[in-house]
Amino acid sequence: MSANVIAVDDVWFRIGSFEMSGVSLNVFEGEYFCLTGSNGAGKSVLLKLITGIYVPDRGSVRIRGKDVTGAAPWTRNIGYMPQDGLLFPWLTTAQNIRFGLEMRDERGDVIDAAVNKIATRLGIRHLLPRKPSGLSGGERQKVSLARALVLNPPILLLDEPVSAIDEGTRDELCRDMRSLQREFQISVIHVAHHSREIDLIADRIGRLEGGKWLGTMPAKPSDPNEVGVSTTGCSGTAVGSV
Amino acid sequence: MTRLPRYGGVFHVLLAIPLVCYVLLVAGLVAGMFAAIPREGWHMAWSNPDLASAVRLSLVTTTISTILAMAIAIPSGYMLSRYRFPGQVIVDTVLDMPIILPPLVMGLALLLFFSTPIGKWLDRGIVPGGLFVYQPLGIVLAQVVVGCAYAVRVMKTGFDNSDRRYEEVAMTLGANSVRTFMKVALPATWHSLVASTVISWAQIIGLFGPVIVLCGTMRGRTEIMPTTIFLETSVGRIDTALVIACLMVVMSMTMLVVFKRVGGGRLEL
Repeated sequence: MSANVIAVDDVWFRIGSFEMSGVSLNVFEGEYFCLTGSNGAGKSVLLKLITGIYVPDRGSVRIRGKDVTGAAPWTRNIGYMPQDGLLFPWLTTAQNIRFGLEMRDERGDVIDAAVNKIATRLGIRHLLPRKPSGLSGGERQKVSLARALVLNPPILLLDEPVSAIDEGTRDELCRDMRSLQREFQISVIHVAHHSREIDLIADRIGRLEGGKWLGTMPAKPSDPNEVGVSTTGCSGTAVGSV
Repeated sequence: MTRLPRYGGVFHVLLAIPLVCYVLLVAGLVAGMFAAIPREGWHMAWSNPDLASAVRLSLVTTTISTILAMAIAIPSGYMLSRYRFPGQVIVDTVLDMPIILPPLVMGLALLLFFSTPIGKWLDRGIVPGGLFVYQPLGIVLAQVVVGCAYAVRVMKTGFDNSDRRYEEVAMTLGANSVRTFMKVALPATWHSLVASTVISWAQIIGLFGPVIVLCGTMRGRTEIMPTTIFLETSVGRIDTALVIACLMVVMSMTMLVVFKRVGGGRLEL
C-alpha cells in the first residue's frame, strides 16, 4: 500500500438529529477497507460525504490529494453502490449499466462494448434485457456493481452491498468484489455488518459509532478476541472493538 | 390489493353501504342528465354556432392552461420537495390560497389587480383593446392561477414520495443537476405527472367563478362551456345547458381513461 487515495480530515456534519463529529480517515491505493459500526453509527453518511452527496459543515475531504470538499458528486468519479443496489426501476439492466456512460456523452459503440465487457465479467449478460423487478437480490447487487464499475472509477464505495442477500450468494459476491478490486486496481470502502464478510475481503477495518471515529485495525487479527485497535495509517486514535 | 376475506361479513356490508350509496348517487345524477335531454336537444345544440364556439374555446384554453400550469408545477413541486429555503412556509401557504379560497374570490382579486396602475399597463399598455379583462387570454390567466395550485400540490407529493436516493446515485454516476432532474427525478414521478395533469385539466375545464368575474361571458368571444351552462340555465334553456353538461362529462371521462392508459393503469388521483 502506498499513496493516500481518500483522506477525510476532521469532518463535522449534522443532519436531522444525527451529528458526525471530528471524523478522520485515510484509505490507501489498492486497499480494501471495511467500515463497521452499529445501525445509525453514520457509516452511510460518511460514504455520502465522500461521494459529495453531503457537504461537511467543517473539515475536508481529499481524493488523491485534491481537496474536493465542496465539489459536486458528478465531478468526483467515485463509484458508489448504495444499499439495496437502487437500480432505476424504469430502465432495463442494460440501460442501468449504460446510464453513467451516457451521462459522460460516450459514443454508442463505446458504451455497447463497455457494457458487454463488464456484464460478461460479472456473468450477468443474460440479465441485460430484464427490468430490475425481475431480478433476485444477488443479481440486483451485481448489476449495481456493474453500473458503478463500468465507469472505471479509482475508488469504489459499497454501502452494505451484501446485507440483504442469502449467505451462499453473499460469500460468492464478496469473493467477486475482492477479485474485481484487485483486477481493476481500485480502492474500496465497504460498509459491512457480518464478520465472515469482513474476513473474506478486508485489508483493514475501521469502526464508527454514534458519529464518532473509533479507529482502525488490520483485518483477520491473530487473536479473534482482540479488542485493541491500531491506528495504522489512520488519524483516528480511539479504541473500540470490531 | 387483496380480495375480501370470507369472515367479517357484517363489517364488510357496513363498509359497503356508504360506498354503494355514493356511487349510485353520482351515477344516478349523471345518468339522469343524459336521460333528460330530449332527442331534438342534441340536434339543436349542434346546430348552434355559439355553442360550438364555446366548446372550441373551452378546449383550446383548457389545453393551453394545463400546459402552462404543468410548466410551473413541475419545477415548483421539485423545488418545494427537495430544498429548504428561507420563507418556505410562506411560499407553501400562498400556494394553497387558490385551493382554499372560493374561486370567485380569486376572480375578484384578478379583476382588482387589473384596476391598479401595473395591472392597467399590463392589460392595456401593449394592446389598447385589452389583453386580459373581458378577453380570451384572461380566461387562460384565471384558469392557470387556480389550476396551477392543484398541479403543484400533486407534483410536490409525487416528488416527496419518490426515493431521492435515485437522484443521489445518478449524480455519482456523472449526471449533473439538470440531467438528474430530467433523466431520473421526472421518470421516477411519471405517475404523479400524469395525475397532476389530469387533476389540473379537470379543475380548469370546469372553472366558472374567476372566468365570469374577469372575462364575463360574451357569446363567441369569452364564452366557455361552464359559462354556457350558467347562461342557458338563467334564460330557461335547460335542454341546451344539459347537452353542454353531458358533453363536459363525456370529455372529462375520456380524458381520465386516456390518462389512466398513459399512466399504465396505475394512476391514482
